[in-house]
Amino acid sequence: MPADALRFLSPGKPRIQSSRMAGPVRENLPETDLIREAQAGSRTAFDALVRQYDQAVLRLAMHLTGSEQDAQDIQQEAFLKAYRYLGNFRFECSFYTWIYRIVTNLCLDHLRRRKSRREDQAVVLDSSGEEMDLLTNVSDERSGANPARELDRKYLGQRILSALDELTPRERMVFELKHYQGLRLRTIGEMLNTTEETAKNTLFRATKKLRAKLAELR
Amino acid sequence: MNCDLAQENIVLAVYGELPDDRAHQLEQHLATCERCRQELEAVTALQKAMSVLPMAEPSPSLVARTRLRLDEALDAMPSGGWLRRITQSFMRGASRLQSAPVMASALLVAGLAAGAWGGYRAGLHAAVSQAPPNITPAPTVVSDPDNSQIAGVSSITLEPNTENVEVRYSRLVPQTIWGTLDDPQIRELLLLGARGRADAAVHDHSVDLLAQECRARHECAGGPIRNTLMVSLRYDKNAKVRLKALQGLEPYIAVDTRVRDAILEALLKDPDADIRSEAISLLAPVEADSSVRDVLQTVASQDDNPHIRTVSRQYLEQVSQIQ
Repeated sequence: MPADALRFLSPGKPRIQSSRMAGPVRENLPETDLIREAQAGSRTAFDALVRQYDQAVLRLAMHLTGSEQDAQDIQQEAFLKAYRYLGNFRFECSFYTWIYRIVTNLCLDHLRRRKSRREDQAVVLDSSGEEMDLLTNVSDERSGANPARELDRKYLGQRILSALDELTPRERMVFELKHYQGLRLRTIGEMLNTTEETAKNTLFRATKKLRAKLAELR
Repeated sequence: MNCDLAQENIVLAVYGELPDDRAHQLEQHLATCERCRQELEAVTALQKAMSVLPMAEPSPSLVARTRLRLDEALDAMPSGGWLRRITQSFMRGASRLQSAPVMASALLVAGLAAGAWGGYRAGLHAAVSQAPPNITPAPTVVSDPDNSQIAGVSSITLEPNTENVEVRYSRLVPQTIWGTLDDPQIRELLLLGARGRADAAVHDHSVDLLAQECRARHECAGGPIRNTLMVSLRYDKNAKVRLKALQGLEPYIAVDTRVRDAILEALLKDPDADIRSEAISLLAPVEADSSVRDVLQTVASQDDNPHIRTVSRQYLEQVSQIQ
């Protein structure tokens, strides 16, 4: 029954938890107090804040840029900015939103620079962080019993990248945050300093463009 | 609902953003509209296709390397965040304290030599010990302008049609202050020392002294000192520092639930056995508390250290005997 179709939709990717720290796990001093201590100059408190978010930030930057090096640079710049401007944080939003706002801005800058450079080819990183070479036909042990499927996957990956490249930086950012990071449109709006409505419309444009591009490349 | 709206709602539905009432309306529309049903399939297919692009998890070594790089970069930011923050914090503090003109205009250099705390000038010491015991003498501050450095140039103005220039700049003037641990100015400096990381010895010693003051119940009721000790207990990498901070929080355990919770957490999670032991003994006055008992029960069965398990069990038995 067509009316049932909606019921089988997945409810969207689950929200990715802000990363936990490795090593002796220290749960949050109520984050407000930690931030206040950091604002008062405590490097220990700031380091603890960084630990709560740096992995998630790195993951986002890695997926958007396709480069470990670029991701590192973005992560570094984001937290240095946070350190420098921590005094400006006035608890009007969550710290998570604030730091992501900084990161998304840096990512947008990166995407804009890349668009204007054009000779950069983004790469895809697989689950172990290795660059997936999308252009070779060499099968490896990962393709296992089905080398044809592996090739298909790589080829699809290339098409996806190429489709994503056609989006404007903002469209790509919204799509990334919604589809790959599982954030809610309202949060995305806050992070990009815009409204939920605008984020929605950007998402619509992005999905339209992606569909058109993927269909074209088939 | 028309098809244009439906198609937007389909995207929202696929991404879990469609409110329930609109979802219902959409279902109604889909029941009668073949085009939109195909649209739903297409968007669902897009979502599946885009998911083929893997979300790589940063490798542990990448995370570690990145953290190290960030650490170094933060350490190398002296005239950036940290110094400015100290200045701001100090300027806020200076308005509260009796501000000598020297302090209002000077900036502190980060390195308060640990040795300076140990020694007091003989003459000053004699003067202090001769003073009536219930009067705290005002602390003495000595500037060393000969060793001052230029911190930054804030403006340069050229007088038109001349070669005359006005330059505004600031100097970092090293200063030394002698006073007692009770003195608010000294306390303010200890707090700064405990928060900064420019010198590990200064940091550790500052936490130690603050904890000592609190433990001796020398009017440590202020929030900032207690918060600094709590942050040190939870996050400092040096076990000795965490232990001192823990001991400094002792007077607050019975009166402040946040302190009690911080100590319970240390008991559950601190990797150092001495700290966990100390935490148990400090919890004695509140051992009848249900949250304390819960934690003691967990520790009694799950702690790695047999001695700690034994001690926890003993405490639990004591409590049940009292009741």
